[in-house]
Amino acid sequence: MTDSLVLALVVPLAGALLVTALPAHAARIGLFSVMLNTLNIALLTLGVWQHDELQLALGDWAPPLGIGFVADGLSAAMLAMTALVSLAISVYAGDYFRDPARARHFWPLWLLLLTSLNGLFLAADLFNLYVNLELLGLSAAALGALGGQRTALEANLRYLLVGLLGSMTYLLGVALIYSGFSTLDFAQLAAQLARGDAAASGLLGATALGLMVMGLALKAALFPLHFWLPPAHGSAPAPVSAALSALVVKAAFYLILRLWLEVFAPLTTQGAANLLGLLGAGAVLWGSWQALRAERLKLLAAYSTVAQLGYLFLFFPILQGLPAGETRSNLFAAVTLMALAHGFAKSGLFLAAGFVQQQAGHDRIAELGTTLQQLPATTLTLALAGTALIGLPPSGSFVAKWLLLGGAMANGQWWWVLVLLAGTLLAVAYVFRLMTRAFGLEPTPRHFFTQARAEGPALLLAAMATGVLGVATAPLWHLLGTSGGLG
Amino acid sequence: MRNSLEPKPQRSAALLVVVLLILLAGLLQWVYFTHAATAPGAGLTALAQAELPRSGVTNPVTAVLLNYRALDTLLELSVLLTAMLGIWSLGPATPGYQQAGAVFAGLAAWVVPLLILSGGYLLWIGAKAPGGAFQAGALLAAAGVIQRLGGDPRASLPNESAQRWLAIAGIGIFALVGLATLVAGRGFLDYPLAWAGWLILLIETFATLTIATLLTAAYVGGQPPPSQTTATPGMHRMQAPDRKA
Repeated sequence: MTDSLVLALVVPLAGALLVTALPAHAARIGLFSVMLNTLNIALLTLGVWQHDELQLALGDWAPPLGIGFVADGLSAAMLAMTALVSLAISVYAGDYFRDPARARHFWPLWLLLLTSLNGLFLAADLFNLYVNLELLGLSAAALGALGGQRTALEANLRYLLVGLLGSMTYLLGVALIYSGFSTLDFAQLAAQLARGDAAASGLLGATALGLMVMGLALKAALFPLHFWLPPAHGSAPAPVSAALSALVVKAAFYLILRLWLEVFAPLTTQGAANLLGLLGAGAVLWGSWQALRAERLKLLAAYSTVAQLGYLFLFFPILQGLPAGETRSNLFAAVTLMALAHGFAKSGLFLAAGFVQQQAGHDRIAELGTTLQQLPATTLTLALAGTALIGLPPSGSFVAKWLLLGGAMANGQWWWVLVLLAGTLLAVAYVFRLMTRAFGLEPTPRHFFTQARAEGPALLLAAMATGVLGVATAPLWHLLGTSGGLG
Repeated sequence: MRNSLEPKPQRSAALLVVVLLILLAGLLQWVYFTHAATAPGAGLTALAQAELPRSGVTNPVTAVLLNYRALDTLLELSVLLTAMLGIWSLGPATPGYQQAGAVFAGLAAWVVPLLILSGGYLLWIGAKAPGGAFQAGALLAAAGVIQRLGGDPRASLPNESAQRWLAIAGIGIFALVGLATLVAGRGFLDYPLAWAGWLILLIETFATLTIATLLTAAYVGGQPPPSQTTATPGMHRMQAPDRKA
């Protein structure tokens, strides 16, 4: 069963090597490896479902000497979301990158990106995470620049440099941890910190945590460190934008969550969590406001990513205040659900936006009326994804926001509810601003246009976010070992 | 209603960054000294040394890189591959420099074989003394850089298809060894002790070739020119006018 942990890394990596060596067959081998990866992740999720947690010491060297892999409910949920989203993106990309010259650049980098994402969700070792972060940042920036225009190159060069700065800051924290605790393994580190041997090591750990969270917040585009995100995500090719917004920033957030709530939990304070929540609140308000003002559809989607990441950070101060127990584990499940729902919704939105851009030749929202009216399936996708971004029932984000609301009230931190309400209203405004284009006064088109391979994946992703995640939450609750939120 | 995507950096912002950086540096210094004075960590040196007999090599650094934390190294090689693929995706390489004069060509004829020889030595000695695939690969890549400076547009690398195979060889062999141990019922990259030394040498040999190829290709700086680019006259006008004799 633990073989699937290693295969999660080896399958996409082997695919990347093969498409590098055999560029003529890139699309076929690439899609095949992504399918194989999805199958393997399904097995892994099944394993976590049955055993609650899968562990592995690579090369049979027990930590601290070797590297440990751990898959728990949170890892499995993120891995499953990544596998499904990447499968949909791969199907779409086969259609999008028809030009073989671009396809042979896309596939190896894309599979390396997938390798690093899987590695990030599995590794329980601070330094192995750094290597995965490097792989992630490098492949993401290279993919983002595939569009080839000057703006894309500029934006992604900045993305690369910002990512490097983030990795270096993270690495500084890792070095401090190693010098102080002589281990990089999550479980051993958590045990040492829980014992709280000396005040000095607590200070050292807190500084290291601060550095690591700072570096990761830069990569997760937490307000006000989000400045690089809109140009980079707005100028990348559509399948890449979808992956960047849905998966790559989410991986950095996942690491912050893991470090903050599990490994370094004894060192975190309410004040620090409040700061994260405050930055999240800033992201919600500023990102939503900018999304409302955006002239281009892809920029709207990119700013909406900034806002949605903000919601995820709102959970920190509320989780911090709660004692271990059912309310807390429900809230933890809610933040996971929020991340998953946004992953599905945003990738669907970006894929649909890419198709609209291809059909219309531009993505200026004010002039999209005719195109949207000709594309019923894509318009439905935009509406479903928008539903999840707003957080209307029956979307997964509705359930998550509801639980957040309950948690904030139970905790007496009612001020976060105001942010939630304001952000939701702004989201209504920016989604409806887009949707009204589909109901303008343009003459009714003579015939509609649908194209299964390009529109199907996006529609399925958006339906997953809005239909499946909101209604069928029980499997996720089971995976995360909680009773269920809405009881 | 325009989105200002490119805000002009302001002087006050630059000043703020400097102040924040100084504060951060101060904090780090303070933490380091208060900590280093009170409780320096023991590190893992002793443990790594103690497990050496089970690693198949006698150089602790090689044991860490190729055995204890082999996965890190596998991924580091993938990072290099990603860098090269990213560079290739940005377009073709510039044609390169003009053919070297007699002095440089003579120097290259001396230095390149020496570099190759030292690379091979470093690869072999890595098992018991400082050395190994990264150092050997870097030396071979230096030979490639000299060839490129001397006017070879492809820096002595073979054609694109062969370059692609060379670029993945080290990573592929690494992963295949891991899969072989997995299929044999041990864990991924869990070498049997009797074979560990030889498996590490096998991985390191191919890793050397891959590292050399990737670094040289990164220096060339773009997708390789199609084959049959034997120094056409037009190429000499393109680059490095200052080096004209």
